[in-house]
Amino acid sequence: MKFIVSSSYLLKQLQVLGGIINSNNTLPILDNFLFDLDGNTLNVSASDLETTISSKLDVESSEKGSVCIPARLLLDTLKTFPEQPLTFTVEDNNTVEISSNHGKYALAYASGEEFPNPVELKDPFSTTIQGDILATAISKTIFASGNDDLRPVMSGVFFQFSTESLTFVATDAHKLVKYSRADVTANQTAEFIMPKKPLNLLKGILAASEEDVIIEYNESNAKFSFDNTEMVCRLIDGKYPNYEAVIPKENPNRLTIDRTQFLNSVRRVSIFSNKTTHQIRLKCAGAELNISAEDIDYSNKAEERLTCDYQGDDMQIGFNSRFLTEMLNNLTSDDVSLEMSLPNRAGILTPVDGLDEGEEITMLVMPVMLNN
Amino acid sequence: MFNTRNIVHMDLDTFFVSCERLLDSRLEGKPVLIGGTSDRGVVASCSYEARSFGIHSAMPMRLAKQLCPEAIVLRGNSGIYSKFSNSVTDIIKESVPLYEKTSVDEFYIDLTGMDKFFGCHKLASEIRKRIIKETGLPISFGLSINKTVSKIATGEAKPNNQIQVVHGHEKPFLSPLSVSKIPMVGKVTYRQLCDLGIKRIRTIQEMPVEMMTKVFGKNGQLIWKKANGIDNSPVVQYNERKSISTERTFDRDTTDVKKLESIIIGMAENLIYQLRRGNKLTACVTFKIRYSDFQTYTQQRRIPYSSADHKIMPVVMELYKNLYQRRLLVRLVGVRFSHLVEGGQQIDLFEDNEKIINLYQAMDRMRERYGDRAVIKAAGMGAKSISRWNPFTGEPPPLLANRRR
Repeated sequence: MKFIVSSSYLLKQLQVLGGIINSNNTLPILDNFLFDLDGNTLNVSASDLETTISSKLDVESSEKGSVCIPARLLLDTLKTFPEQPLTFTVEDNNTVEISSNHGKYALAYASGEEFPNPVELKDPFSTTIQGDILATAISKTIFASGNDDLRPVMSGVFFQFSTESLTFVATDAHKLVKYSRADVTANQTAEFIMPKKPLNLLKGILAASEEDVIIEYNESNAKFSFDNTEMVCRLIDGKYPNYEAVIPKENPNRLTIDRTQFLNSVRRVSIFSNKTTHQIRLKCAGAELNISAEDIDYSNKAEERLTCDYQGDDMQIGFNSRFLTEMLNNLTSDDVSLEMSLPNRAGILTPVDGLDEGEEITMLVMPVMLNN
Repeated sequence: MFNTRNIVHMDLDTFFVSCERLLDSRLEGKPVLIGGTSDRGVVASCSYEARSFGIHSAMPMRLAKQLCPEAIVLRGNSGIYSKFSNSVTDIIKESVPLYEKTSVDEFYIDLTGMDKFFGCHKLASEIRKRIIKETGLPISFGLSINKTVSKIATGEAKPNNQIQVVHGHEKPFLSPLSVSKIPMVGKVTYRQLCDLGIKRIRTIQEMPVEMMTKVFGKNGQLIWKKANGIDNSPVVQYNERKSISTERTFDRDTTDVKKLESIIIGMAENLIYQLRRGNKLTACVTFKIRYSDFQTYTQQRRIPYSSADHKIMPVVMELYKNLYQRRLLVRLVGVRFSHLVEGGQQIDLFEDNEKIINLYQAMDRMRERYGDRAVIKAAGMGAKSISRWNPFTGEPPPLLANRRR
């Protein structure tokens, strides 16, 4: 088995695939890339058992065969090369020889049969979505997902497809983001929970790609196909909490404010808040928003006043400033609105402008109990 | 800056007894014991008349009564003692630059630099006289260059007197005293030292540090330093609380599961309320159980920062279920919250609802107004006396009847 490939082209592809490889694997074979050669097509795969991602590369060859090559070693080598053709030759003594303009390198390989086979999806449904729309949906929601091992369903992003719209939801029980697109639809309704790791990978690959992504899914797995790449991953098993029920419907108190100004103030004030709880206090009255924080242990204290547009009763509400900054940072609009009902009910943060046609973002943030 | 400090240690003599005597002059000159009156109770404070019978504080009340049957035994009232203690604190507060209140009846005062204007000994004497005159409580003090020497000096000065250890004379002052006078040395360490033939502080002073470290580890070094009159610890006015806890020893060891659970629920509920009142959150719950054979077990668990009953209570009960395994009588149970931070409960989108949040707020308001036990869980009613004290004011805890030396 022998093939010739451009070094930078190979590196670019492998770096994408390498993102899925865990740093310490229980199965040593997972530290490898699977190279599956069939004439002029080289299919490279990487896996962490949960997710398998593979890419088809054009190479110069006329042979067939498959080998597993140590990923770390190969990536480290490829990074150092300037653009040039590389020749891979599988030798008889269980090594792969790479020849470059500079010299020769030999790597021990394992047989391609040892690599776990990717899951075949049985009776999948399928939906097509534009790459950058999917990337946006992921980046708008994924930060809100949780890390709690006790509540695994919340560690992923909930995909909710229907014939009217696509909805993506993430929550860690303290904050929640719902991102929906009415301009993209699916043929049938479907719901599944995607784990975070493959989504982060997809987000990186798909950003600013106008190519269509085909999503195929059944109860246990999902497959994303685009370009020359395929990603198959296991879904998170379980029932996603009924998030619609916790979004307050009646929110008589509405605050509209410049996003950047609000974000900067929250950031500044939160420096003075308790280092563990990051709690800040918002006081809304008239056309003024008062943001304050206090760290009693160190006698640190900050207070800022912002002009805003506020309609509703005077109220005081406490938030974890981390959540607010994450959310405000994730939005891109000029103005945002924060709708509230009571100091112990969720605040709803929405962008006022800057949305595409059919795009909708709702962010929920739970308050902290305040002592008066 | 530290070359010569002037630290005063003030201690109210037989504080609880003195307070009772102010309230009832018939107690004057009689042996008085204050502490738990049940069989398990210990002597929290006793008058000098009682001490001549060989009674000392922390002694089981039963033994004390045997030693001196004619002694007057009082249950004590920490509320009244706190009031007296506060009036003493007020006097100290307005006369000195920096003080530390380590318990209801003990104060450290840093008079460094006051020499220039007043004379430290003169000032300390004046404060003492003023306290005696204004509150009627006998008080003693020791004045020296650091906390340890001052505390030992106060012990020597008692009752109702004062001592100054002149700078440079700390070692000769300490050397003839018994090693048990060193604040760190308790019953066990004292016995160990005696076994080694060390009775007087002089012996420790003459020993090399290494030898002490070898025998007692890190503590040995500390004891050695104290014995040599070395103590650089500062006088700190406000002590941030790192944990809150409560525990209860039963009058009679029990296996009554209902009673145990009731007391645990009562204790946990009260502590959680203290958290919310102090606007604190806890991230670590510890449960402690002691069986009648004095075997003590503790177990702790990290939790997300919380001050909500429905988050913490199940953890406490689970730890109790894990630990209560032996088929033995239980002597003591205790609950403790640590890793405290300032803040309010982060409300959960799915598990909390405003009903529960409103309930806590309403209950807390009622307790604020009508006392800690205005509303309690019916399951926790078995716990009768739980401290009504706010742990987050920076004040030292008022000593209850189970005071230890």
